[in-house]
Amino acid sequence: MEALFDSALRLAAPLLLAALGELLVERAGVLNIGVEGMMLGGAFAAFVAAVATGSPAVGVVAGGAAACALGALFAYFAVVRRIDQIVVGTAINLLALGATGVGVRAIYPGGAPTAPTVGDLLLPGLARLPIFGRSLFAQTPFVYGGIFAAVAIALFLRGTRLGLRLRAAGESARAADAEGVDVMALRACAVLAGALMAGIAGANLSLAQSNSFTEGMTAGRGFIALAVVIFGGWRASGIALAAVFFGAASALQFRLQAGGVPIPYPVFLMFPYLITLAVLAFATRRTHGPEDLGRPYRREAA
Amino acid sequence: MHVLLGLVRPDTGQLEIAGRRVDLAGYSPADALRAGVGMVHQHSTLVPAMTVPENIAFGAVGGSALFRRARVRARVARLAEQYALDVPLDVPVAQLSVGQRQRAEILRTLDRGARVIVLDEPTAALTPGETQALFPGLRRLRDGGSAIVFISHKLEEIEGLADRVAVLRRGVLVAVKGAREADARELGSLMLGRDLPGLVRPPALPREEGAPAFALRDLEAPGLREASRLKGVTLAVQAGEIVGVAGIDGNGQRELEEVLAGVRPITAGRIEVSGRLVPPSVRRLRAAGVSHLSGERERGGLVAGFTIAENLILKSSYDDRRFVRGGLLDREAARRYARDVMQRFGIKPADPDLDIATLSGGNAQKVAVARELDSRPRVLVAVNPTRGLDVGSARFVNEQLLALRSLGGAVLLVSTELDEVLFLADRVVALVEGCVVPVPRDADRAALGAILLSGAPQSAVA
Amino acid sequence: MTTRQAASAALWPVLSVVLALGMLALLLLLLGYAPLPALWALASGAFGSSAAWTATLLKASPLLFTGLAVALSFRCGVWNIGAEGQLYAGALAATAVATRLLPGAPAVVLTPLLSLAGAAGGALLAAIAGVLRAARGVSEVISTILLNFVAIQAVALAVHGPLQEASRAYPQSDALPAAALLPAFGRLHLGIAIAVALAFAVQLLIFRTALGFRMRAVGLSPVAARFAGISPERHALVSISIAGALAGLAGAFEVAGVTERLYEGLSPGYGYTAIAVALLARLNPLATLPAALFFGALEAGAGAMQRSAGVPSVVTQIVQGLVILVFVAIPFEARQAPLPGASIDGAA
Repeated sequence: MEALFDSALRLAAPLLLAALGELLVERAGVLNIGVEGMMLGGAFAAFVAAVATGSPAVGVVAGGAAACALGALFAYFAVVRRIDQIVVGTAINLLALGATGVGVRAIYPGGAPTAPTVGDLLLPGLARLPIFGRSLFAQTPFVYGGIFAAVAIALFLRGTRLGLRLRAAGESARAADAEGVDVMALRACAVLAGALMAGIAGANLSLAQSNSFTEGMTAGRGFIALAVVIFGGWRASGIALAAVFFGAASALQFRLQAGGVPIPYPVFLMFPYLITLAVLAFATRRTHGPEDLGRPYRREAA
Repeated sequence: MHVLLGLVRPDTGQLEIAGRRVDLAGYSPADALRAGVGMVHQHSTLVPAMTVPENIAFGAVGGSALFRRARVRARVARLAEQYALDVPLDVPVAQLSVGQRQRAEILRTLDRGARVIVLDEPTAALTPGETQALFPGLRRLRDGGSAIVFISHKLEEIEGLADRVAVLRRGVLVAVKGAREADARELGSLMLGRDLPGLVRPPALPREEGAPAFALRDLEAPGLREASRLKGVTLAVQAGEIVGVAGIDGNGQRELEEVLAGVRPITAGRIEVSGRLVPPSVRRLRAAGVSHLSGERERGGLVAGFTIAENLILKSSYDDRRFVRGGLLDREAARRYARDVMQRFGIKPADPDLDIATLSGGNAQKVAVARELDSRPRVLVAVNPTRGLDVGSARFVNEQLLALRSLGGAVLLVSTELDEVLFLADRVVALVEGCVVPVPRDADRAALGAILLSGAPQSAVA
Repeated sequence: MTTRQAASAALWPVLSVVLALGMLALLLLLLGYAPLPALWALASGAFGSSAAWTATLLKASPLLFTGLAVALSFRCGVWNIGAEGQLYAGALAATAVATRLLPGAPAVVLTPLLSLAGAAGGALLAAIAGVLRAARGVSEVISTILLNFVAIQAVALAVHGPLQEASRAYPQSDALPAAALLPAFGRLHLGIAIAVALAFAVQLLIFRTALGFRMRAVGLSPVAARFAGISPERHALVSISIAGALAGLAGAFEVAGVTERLYEGLSPGYGYTAIAVALLARLNPLATLPAALFFGALEAGAGAMQRSAGVPSVVTQIVQGLVILVFVAIPFEARQAPLPGASIDGAA
């Protein structure tokens, strides 16, 4: 049971990080379906940098930076040029898939090596607590980072002026503009921040959850992060719970696969998506996200 | 006002605030805020998902980077008390009534320390009680040295509140008077302007017996706001008659248009064509001989991106055998029809395959007119049909309305262009706050203006 | 359309392709591959022999079905990102019919039936998203993406369970009975011809039928359509269902014409590449023919490029992404692709 919880958290971390990043982006009013590509790009860059320098920490930084580059591309086309966000996001995904696939074979013609991984961080004392001591307090730094980010982002959105301005840009860009908010700049920054977190989530994949890079290794996790944002009701607390839920479903699936239980594992993989669809269909509150989500803003004469 | 707020750049002219000339080149809303200009909009610019203190806090210039919820709330509460503006401070704005939102907007401008406060029709959705509660606060602001621009069409407010009155008509400043000197008739006359030159109004056709060509009985329909909700609308139009529904924007015209176009469901009442009940759907109304013309392209059923021919047959795609047979579109028939119609209605250039988005506003509207009138409808519902048109196109539209009338059609003209209504209509009623208000037959422009400015709905039969 | 109009309409897509290939060459250079031999290998792998042509057409076929699906739905104002899942749903339905429901039926019954099943499977999956949008205002962007995963897992479920092959050794279905396999000329199966025929059919539907007329109206201006008596909700549902049917056929024909059995990972992302196909074709059904051919050639040639020049075949994804970006960077008027409104809300 405790081992299950431990796995659930580990598997949830990349989802949590990417979803929190996407939360910032969507609360600002931008729908970025290119999270998948940004995560993948981050995973690849992190891997390459870690192998080259021998330092996983450098890898994480590189992962974040690479994803930011993709984020800048997205921000330019989707926010500044106001081109359809779905189209741009799709292009980013395709580019990342291709570039990383080519890259891994070009740089490691003999096959990808193993990377130095990010080890678990033990919180002394706490880790010895009974029941959940080890699973909560002897975790990857990404789990701690995710929890920290969730709290920080929640405080940011509720308790700072900038956070309020970001929410205003996403709920009513016209009102925000009339109040002096630079909607375009704010949205572009949100996209970059989201990309950074997606990149770190990618680093989590190639430097902690596994120790290598394989083509297309994100396997749809970026899209799952989108579902996590919705399922979490566009709130950091909800997202944290949703991410753990998805992580638990994943952990359960592995366990069942090993244990020969009669319930086929694809059911578990399907489950979170069906739940999200059900939430969307039947819940009345907060199923649409910020009002101006997905709408490029142009200041026009009213 | 949008120029003052930095939302629109003027082509020419100057702006001075507090004695200093403003550089209009880069003047943005942020600059307006800094200069001490605040506006309370007619359509709220509060963020619905956020509370009032959050709304007030995010746009403030200067101040801390942190949003100290309790501190801001206390500050706003103090202001609210000082100016007697009762607003719930702990729920999202989406849950506030329109009156409360207005007061919240005023609070926001006050919190900014605005020296120039613009209120755009602030009482449009307020009850008389709420309005009375607003005025002492505004007077207190004036006494404190603020400059207030109060945009309104309600005479008793102007009389009760203003020091001076400025009248704008079609974008031009027409007069500025001391509030004590002006009266309703004079203001109404200043607002409404004169006859349309050159148009000749043929004499009315003799009245026929029997049911009116078009009748609305006790129509009720939901509205965007309480003021625009339709309440017991009863109206009749005879064949060969134009009935004008005059009113100021925001009093239910959009809702009425949508009901008569078949797009908005009604909660009570009936629509009758020649005495027979017609269900309020687009196709049934059209089948009964009711056509709809609108001053807004999209609402008038004009699709930008479609050709002229495609737009002409847009409302005929289900069962009009001239263009649709066996589910297939006869494009050549549509083109022939288009060329024929364009020639008869004098629309140039006469290429049916032109994208209607490339046409000027006037020409596009001519296409709509051609489509709606070519079927010789029994009834035409025309809503602001000349909005935004150049003089020549407007005149064309008006001529067409008169022509339909001469042929025995019944026209219901809903318009905010008061002089147009007065000229074209055989009979006029007023639409005030969702109710039909009778207008005496011998009412002149000033009298009509006074009725519209009165703002108080009376009985509802016309 | 005059020749001159056709030429100018083709200008921007062709330009995008050329530019994207140019960028690819640059990228190859930077990575240390010789660009010209690589591009030559790509071209000959796609068009250089009859085997190459076969590979190209086999790859182009599902792209044509799904490209049509995406083009149709985008034109009608629906952001259908679910072509991938709809393809899987169609493959699943077709396999179920062919291996479980009527495995003994003769070809003349089985082939049409499994095609119908494929179309129905895709249409039903798409309709879920359509109904969610019409009835609950749920953005179809999100719901179709979610449904993609559901469908992919449904296939996994099937090939591990009810549809699994008799020896229960591998996660795949039984081989389809011979009667279920599409008639073929060598490896070129009938599905290819059907795809081409459907391109014309969809063109007819969109531009010559009253229904297509109404769907286009809804896509261009839901407000104007409503005032004209055309229900945006209903037509959005119809268009997404038809799109789903087309994508479902792609899945059915992949199983019945190429792979001959169902397994996970059936599609290498056809449903997503379809977006690039549709955009390049400017949402014109007939133009999806050359667009699908181009991307099919890219996939087919990439294999050859990997074998002879050592360039990883996944480079095609880069080209797809670049083509989209180059294409959308062109000002809107020149692009003339009527994309759905930027808002992701449901019907206006």
